[in-house]
Amino acid sequence: MDIATLSSQLLIGLSRGMIFFIVAAGLTLIFGVLRITNFAHGSLYMLGAFAAYSVSTSLGHGHYGFWLALLVAPIAVMILSLIIERGLLRFIYNRDHLTQMLLTYSLVLITGDAVKIIWGSEYKSINIPEGLRGSISIWGASLPLYNAFLLLIGPLVALGLWLFLSKTHLGKICRATATDREMVDILGINSTRVFALVFALGGWLAGLGGTLIAPTTTVSMGMDANILIYAFLIVVIGGLGNIWGALISSIIIGMGEAIGVLLIPSVSIILPYMIAGILLIFRPSGLLKSVW
Amino acid sequence: MSVNTESSLKTTNRKIHNLLGLGLALIGILILLIVPTLIPPYYSYLLATIFTTALLATSLNLVLGYGGLLHLHHGVFYGIGAYTVAIILTKTSWPFALAVILGPILSAALAFVIGWFCVRLRGLYFGMLTLALGQLVWAIVYRWNALTNGDNGIHAIPVPDFLTSISSVYYTTLLVLLVSLLILSKITKSPFGLTLLAARDNPVRSESLGINVKQHRLIAFVIAGFFAGVAGVLFVLLERSVAPSLLFWNKSAEILIMCLMGGLTVFLGPTLGAAILVLLSMIVGLYTEYWLLVLGLLLLILVLFLPQGILGYICEKIKGRRQRGGSLDASN
Amino acid sequence: MLQIEQLKKSFEGYQAIANANLSVPQGEVVAVIGPNGAGKSTLFNLITGHLTADSGSIRFQKTDITQCTPHQICHHGIGRSFQLINIFTSLTVFENIQTAVLAKHRLERKLFKPAKKLLREETLEVLNSFGLVRYKDHLCSSLSYGDQKVLEIAIALGSKPKLLLLDEPTAGMSPDETSRIVQLIKRLSQDEGLTILLTEHDTDLVFDVAQKIMVLHQGETIAQGLPEDIRSDKSVQKAYLGETEVC
Repeated sequence: MDIATLSSQLLIGLSRGMIFFIVAAGLTLIFGVLRITNFAHGSLYMLGAFAAYSVSTSLGHGHYGFWLALLVAPIAVMILSLIIERGLLRFIYNRDHLTQMLLTYSLVLITGDAVKIIWGSEYKSINIPEGLRGSISIWGASLPLYNAFLLLIGPLVALGLWLFLSKTHLGKICRATATDREMVDILGINSTRVFALVFALGGWLAGLGGTLIAPTTTVSMGMDANILIYAFLIVVIGGLGNIWGALISSIIIGMGEAIGVLLIPSVSIILPYMIAGILLIFRPSGLLKSVW
Repeated sequence: MSVNTESSLKTTNRKIHNLLGLGLALIGILILLIVPTLIPPYYSYLLATIFTTALLATSLNLVLGYGGLLHLHHGVFYGIGAYTVAIILTKTSWPFALAVILGPILSAALAFVIGWFCVRLRGLYFGMLTLALGQLVWAIVYRWNALTNGDNGIHAIPVPDFLTSISSVYYTTLLVLLVSLLILSKITKSPFGLTLLAARDNPVRSESLGINVKQHRLIAFVIAGFFAGVAGVLFVLLERSVAPSLLFWNKSAEILIMCLMGGLTVFLGPTLGAAILVLLSMIVGLYTEYWLLVLGLLLLILVLFLPQGILGYICEKIKGRRQRGGSLDASN
Repeated sequence: MLQIEQLKKSFEGYQAIANANLSVPQGEVVAVIGPNGAGKSTLFNLITGHLTADSGSIRFQKTDITQCTPHQICHHGIGRSFQLINIFTSLTVFENIQTAVLAKHRLERKLFKPAKKLLREETLEVLNSFGLVRYKDHLCSSLSYGDQKVLEIAIALGSKPKLLLLDEPTAGMSPDETSRIVQLIKRLSQDEGLTILLTEHDTDLVFDVAQKIMVLHQGETIAQGLPEDIRSDKSVQKAYLGETEVC
């Protein structure tokens, strides 16, 4: 194996890591602020992918299909998240972890079958948009252009989240809610509105992740379970509620998976779990400080 | 004086209560003994499935309800018990009895290894580590083609002649379930069980009373793993096949739902939950392929309106007070 | 009985215990006092193993327990109550005490004997001496605050400690309930000869029950000795009693 193969594989892993990050960032944000373990996050991601499929095919696989989907699908998922939060979640904020988990798990079951009813169970796919086909070469390593695009989007999302959390008033309230809920209540800030906002933002991120992954894979049932476990591992490894921790661990998991595929393909699916298990055993509270 | 009469009255009441319970249990067992002769074999199979699942759910509840630990991946021990038997029976010429014994023992050993890491963590982190390590085991089983036959699973597992008829399997699972429930119920009422509850309520206090909380939880974890392994063995007797989906996370979620549905706070809650879920999936399956949708809606209703579970609710009404615990605190 | 020497503990740069020294003689009631944030609770948590010291030593009956875990320390014979009520909320009053008694006898891992029948007498004895027998089958969460606080102490006695640590035993109590606790402390000390180490912000109570007092200020032991010596100690007056009225 030569360096070029290795580095292009690493870059692909990194770009997958970016999608993991986008999804996990939403999950960890919800964790941190709402203190809810949102099992439905994978389902929102899957819905994002299916919505993207519908939007882009409604334009007959045209040039603008993907770009329109990129705009519309995450927003559709965001609206659904808002409905879920206002309609269900807000009633269980002071219940124990298990109850909260199982409530969101019930949404997993429901959306799973709902997707089957709405879209049918055959595989779907979206074309990679015209301008992003083909591949480029970075320092001798060849990389599909679409993955390069993902490598661009990931940091953009991270930057956006950073700006939101540290520069805006709402973002500051979110951070304050995550670290000290009581203080926020004392200050008279309506924290349930913050919860709704954060859950909607989390949903948007999940939908965005689903939309972005759609052109690289088949859109199908079961994509919710796979991403969910990954996202959970990433969030826990990174430190619950810590977005930068999620970024680091997304990259670790993404690259780890890529290296696994290259070196020992037969065990590559074990690798992320192994990394997660080892990291958790040695750093039980996550790589970075948890906000809890 | 009045205190004395009151307390003696209470004791008599309790004796009547106990006798009543014993009587009901005996009648129930009697019915279960006669039933297979009266119903079509398919229903015997269904009941045996319930017995197996009930044991699995009850074993989880030792850790979940009594230990207050967010154990998210109990299915792994079920699967390992089943796979151990399946592999021994198909790939070796070891005696059947050895396979049946090794199943639960290997499950318990795995529970020891996984538990050893997990009990050092608390709350959600505990749960996430069980999930991560459990999925790791799943991934290994899924990938180790040479040993486990990978995605395809192992089928047509040979069992001894005396276990080939459905009625013999029925009676075996019933017997094993009853014996296991008896043992588990004894454990929950023992000093060990009491201490487990105490450690769930207040681990810090328990420590300062001289209880090694981590070790205590580890023991509970291993016991639960053992009985999940027993359930796994029953599964093989019943189905004569195994597949990696036994160890996938969804299976564990299903077990969690059973516990919640019946009630974490009552010993027989998970048994009831298992019975309801197995029956329901059968009935719903007759009408629609969307069983998971129905399960999801059911779970939603349950979580919102009956968080203490069906049996938990009934006991609450009868005894007029909340049952012990079942609340999983983050600080555990 | 208990010897603490040059104990230090810091949290992320904050020196909670800077230099604590204390000796608790057998059979006496010793009080640790100091302003809020002086490190009293930290000191207790260090003694009972809930925290581990950075340096210094804690010896109990000539055994070094500085590095021991809480459950090991309990088995060495140190029992404690907590400042906030720290009981087993879903157990009955009887079971609360019984848990302690079972652990004391190292029976907590018995798997198949019904717990109900084990060590009943000993448990009832503890309940009796605290006047809690009539509540024995009540869920302890249904008790009044004062009774819960008594139960809090009773649990610690369930493990038959040689040294009892009481962390703010009267915090949040009414005057009636406080005098009940004072009676209890005196009885435990005088009738049962128990060695007691307590922290308390109620200085009247401290001077009433304690035979020896140690003053902790900013994590440092600035004085220890007889109550009357402490009362007249200049540095203590400056650091602590100066804030309140000295009689």
